Amino acid sequence: MADKIKLFVNGVEVEVEAGKNLIDAIGAVGIEIPHFCYHPALGSDGNCRMCLVGIEDGRPPLVPACKTPAQAGMKVLLDAAHIKKIQHDVMELELINHPIDCPICDQAGECKLQDFYMSYDKQPSRMTVAQVKKGKKLDYGCGIVHDQERCVLCARCVRFCRQITKTGELGIVNRSDAAQVEFFPGRPINNRYAQNIVDLCPVGAMTSADFRFKQRVWFLKRAKGICHGCAKGCNITIEHNREKYQEDRIYRFLPRLNPQVNGYFICDKGRYSYHKENEGRLTVARQGSQVRNQADALAACNQEISRSPKIAMILSPNCSLEEMVAVKSLAEKLGATLSGFSDGYISAGDGDGYLIQDDKSANRAGLGILGINSNRAVFEKDLGEAQLLVNFNNDLTRSYTEPELRALLKDTKMILAASHDDGLAAMAAIAIPIAAASEYSGSLVNCDNILQSFTKAVSKNHDPVDIGTLAAQLGSPLQTRAEQFSELRKYLSVLKNFEADTLPAEGLKLTDNEATHVTA
Amino acid sequence: MEVKILSAKFHIDNANTLAVAISHGAYSTLDKLFAMQPAEVIEEVKKSGLRGRGGAGFPAGMKWGFLPKNTGKPVYLAVNSDESEPATFKDRYILVKDPHMLIEGIIICSYAIDCHDAYIYIRGEYTTQVKILQAAIDEAYAAGYLGASIAGRDFKLDVTIHRGAGAYICGEETALLESIEGQKGQPRSKPPFPAVAGLYGCPTIINNVQTIASLPFIITNGADAYKAHGTEKSPGTHLFGISGHVEKPGMYELPLGLPILEVIDKMAGGVWKGRKLKGIIPGGSSTPVLLPEEAKDVTLDYESMAAHKTMFGSGGIVVLDETVDIVQLVENLISFYHHESCGQCTPCREGLGWMLKIVQKILRGEGVIEDVLLLRELCDNIEMKTVCVLSAACTMPVRSYLDKFRQEFLAYVPTASPAAQEKQE
Repeated sequence: MADKIKLFVNGVEVEVEAGKNLIDAIGAVGIEIPHFCYHPALGSDGNCRMCLVGIEDGRPPLVPACKTPAQAGMKVLLDAAHIKKIQHDVMELELINHPIDCPICDQAGECKLQDFYMSYDKQPSRMTVAQVKKGKKLDYGCGIVHDQERCVLCARCVRFCRQITKTGELGIVNRSDAAQVEFFPGRPINNRYAQNIVDLCPVGAMTSADFRFKQRVWFLKRAKGICHGCAKGCNITIEHNREKYQEDRIYRFLPRLNPQVNGYFICDKGRYSYHKENEGRLTVARQGSQVRNQADALAACNQEISRSPKIAMILSPNCSLEEMVAVKSLAEKLGATLSGFSDGYISAGDGDGYLIQDDKSANRAGLGILGINSNRAVFEKDLGEAQLLVNFNNDLTRSYTEPELRALLKDTKMILAASHDDGLAAMAAIAIPIAAASEYSGSLVNCDNILQSFTKAVSKNHDPVDIGTLAAQLGSPLQTRAEQFSELRKYLSVLKNFEADTLPAEGLKLTDNEATHVTA
Repeated sequence: MEVKILSAKFHIDNANTLAVAISHGAYSTLDKLFAMQPAEVIEEVKKSGLRGRGGAGFPAGMKWGFLPKNTGKPVYLAVNSDESEPATFKDRYILVKDPHMLIEGIIICSYAIDCHDAYIYIRGEYTTQVKILQAAIDEAYAAGYLGASIAGRDFKLDVTIHRGAGAYICGEETALLESIEGQKGQPRSKPPFPAVAGLYGCPTIINNVQTIASLPFIITNGADAYKAHGTEKSPGTHLFGISGHVEKPGMYELPLGLPILEVIDKMAGGVWKGRKLKGIIPGGSSTPVLLPEEAKDVTLDYESMAAHKTMFGSGGIVVLDETVDIVQLVENLISFYHHESCGQCTPCREGLGWMLKIVQKILRGEGVIEDVLLLRELCDNIEMKTVCVLSAACTMPVRSYLDKFRQEFLAYVPTASPAAQEKQE
C-alpha cells in the first residue's frame, strides 16, 4: 500500500497517494484536473497547458499539474477565478482551428475536447478569421485514419510509438499552427500495437478504420472480458450492441487497465479477435449433415457415449478452469481418457517479450494445474484405442492437416462441441454449438500464473451453452458452476477465500506451489 | 561615451587571426587564470556583477554557483550564439571581429565550472561567422589553447560548434540543448533547470556570447575594474545595436546606465532626416515600446527599463520615426513570432496565428473595434501560460503598442458602432 499524504484542494483537505503527480493523485479522490497530453502510461509532456493550476506556496503562479508531484501540505487552487479563466482561455485556443463537426465526428461521445468544452468553457466562438486547414482522412497505416484538423498536438501518439513500441514512426513536423503529426514519407505506422494510438487520442484525430462510423458509442454496452488471443490474458472491455431484430454483435475490444497483466494496452491481433466472436459461428446442432435440435443432439451424444467401450476426450486450452474441471470429472466418471493436446496453438517465435506470447491459448496453465496431460503421443495412442472422440472445442486443424486428422480418426467417431463452424465441424458425427469466449463466465490462468475471471458479456439469439454446462448435460458430476468452482479449490488453495465471480479485478497471482504444474 | 572593452580589437585588421589577437593580448589571462582556484574565478565573476547578456540579465556568477557538486557527471558549457531576435546583432561582431576573445572566455568559464566539453550553438544563418569562428578554434587547437592540455596546463577542453537550422526558439536555453542533442528544437519544462539537468541530462551552464566574451577583461583587470563602468546593479559595458530611423545606425559599446535619448542623439546621430521620434524599442523586438515622453527618464540599464515596464533585453535599440505605421509594425512583429513558434504548446501555437489573422483583418480594413479589443485580450490570455516565453516575447510588445497607440488601430476600423466605441472606452 502506497504512503498517503494530506494536502489541500480549494481549501479542503484531502488524502492522496504519495509519489503521484497532481492529476493522478487528486484524480484518485474524484477531483478532475483537465488535461489532454498527460497519460499515466506515457508520462507528462506539458504541451496542452490545460492542467495549469495554482499552488499557494510561493512558487510560480501557475504550474502544470502533470509535472507537479503531490506534496504533503500543498495548497492546490483549482476553483480560483484566474484558474477557471485559464481553463476557458486554453479551451478557446484549442478550438479556434478545430472543426466543430461533432455531430459527424466518430469520436463523438468520447471526445475530451467536447467534454472539457462543456465543463470548462461553454462559450460561443469568437473566431471571425479563417481557420487553419489541414489534411483529412489520411491513411497512417495499421488501420489508423488520421484527421489532422482535429488534432490537438498532444503528442500522445508520437510518444506511444517512441516509448512503448519503440518503433518511432510518428513525429510532429512544422511549427506554429502548421504543426502536424506525420510519419516519414513511405514509412507509415507499422507495429503490432498500433490501434492503441486510437485509444490514446483524446479527440477525433486518430480513428480506427475497423470501427469508424460502425456505431455511436453511446449505443454500445460494455462488459469486462479477458482476451483469449494468447496466454497473456490481457484485460479488455467488450463493447457490443444488439440492434433491433438483429443478433447481439461485438463492435470492438478495448484495452482495460490491469497494471499486473497488460497495463493500458493490448495488441492489435487480440483487439481484432472480436471478429471471430461474431463470424463463422456454429449456431445449430448437426448430426451428420442433418440439423438437429439441441435436445435431440444431446440424446444422440449420450447414446454414442453409452455404446462406446473406449472414449477419448480432448478439450481446448482456451477452456476456462471451470470447464476443464467439469470435463475432467465427466471423463473420470466415464472412464474416458482426457487430453489437453494443443501444440497447434503455439506459434513459436511470434512472442515479443511484451504482451504478445508464442502460446495462442488462454489457459494452458490451467491444463497443468488440473493435471491434464497434453502430450501428443499420449493423445494419439488414446485416440487410436478409442471408438469415440469427444472433442470440447479443441481445433485439431491447428495441430494436424486434414489428411493427418482423417488418418488419425480412421473409424473413430467424433462428437464435437464447437463455437465455430469450420472444417473440423464438417468431420464430426455430431456437432453441438457452444458459447464463444464472450458468451459465458469463467476463470483462466495466464502465462504469468495470474488467475483471472471473466463474465458473460454477450447473449446470442441461439443462446449457446458453455462447455461446463454441456459436460453437465452429458453426465458430469459437477452440475453447476458453484460445484465446479468448489472442485477447483482442491487444486488451488488460493481460492478458499473466494466464490465464483468474486476474484479480485486485477487477478490473483498464484503461488509457486500452486503453479507447479504449469507447463506453458 | 564609448568604452572599448569588448570591442577593443574590433578596429584592428585581422584581429580574428590568432597571431594578431595574441599580439594584442589575447590569451594573456591564462597564466593568472590557472594560478587561481576555480572557486576564486567564480567569486571574482560574482563580484564583478556581470549579468547575462542574452536578455534576461541573470547574474552570471550566481548561475554558475547553481551547479550541483560531485554528481559524477560531466559538466557542459553551452555558449548561446543563436542570435535571432529581430534588431539584435551584437554577438556577430564578437564572432567575426574577435573570436579569440570568446574562446578565451570559454576557457575561463570552463575552468571555473570544471567543464571539459563546451559547445557554441550558433545561428545557422551566420555562415560567415561560422567560418571565421571555426578557423579561430582550429588555430587555438593548433596553438595548444584548446585540446588535451590548455596552454601546457593539466586542463583539457574541447570546443564544438553546433549550427542551428534556423529556428528562433533554439535561442531559448532548453530548446538549444534539445537541438544539440539532435531533437526537434522545443523548450523543456523547468524545473529541472539546466544547471542541474541540462545537456544529456548533465549539469550545464548556458551563457550568451557577450557574457562569455566579457570574462577575459574581468579576470585580467579584476572585478573592480569592470564595476568601474555601468551602474551599481548593472555594471560593465554592453554592445548596443542601434538601428531603425537614425542617422548613424550601428553597434556601439557603452557603459550601462546612460540616458537612452542621449545615446540615440550623440552616438546614432538622432532621428534621421530631422523627423520626429515616435517610439523606441529598447532591447530587441520582444521588449515593450517606449514613447518619447517615457524615454526621457530611461537609462540603459536593467533597473531603469523595468521601472518603465519594459526590458533591457539584448540591447538592440530600434528607433521609430513619425512615419512608422504601428499597425503594420505589429503585423510584422506577430508574423515573425507566429512563424517561429515551435508549435509545442497550445496557447503559443494557436494563439499567435489567431492574433496575426486579426491584425491582418484590421489592416485590410475589415476589422471592427471588437477585433482590436480581442487582440489586446489575447495578449493576456496567451502570456505566461506557455512552456517558454516565446509567446510572451510577442504579446508583451504587442500589448504595449495596443495600449500606447490604440488610436492607430482604431483608425483602421472603418465602421465602429457607437456601442463598440463605448465598450472600448
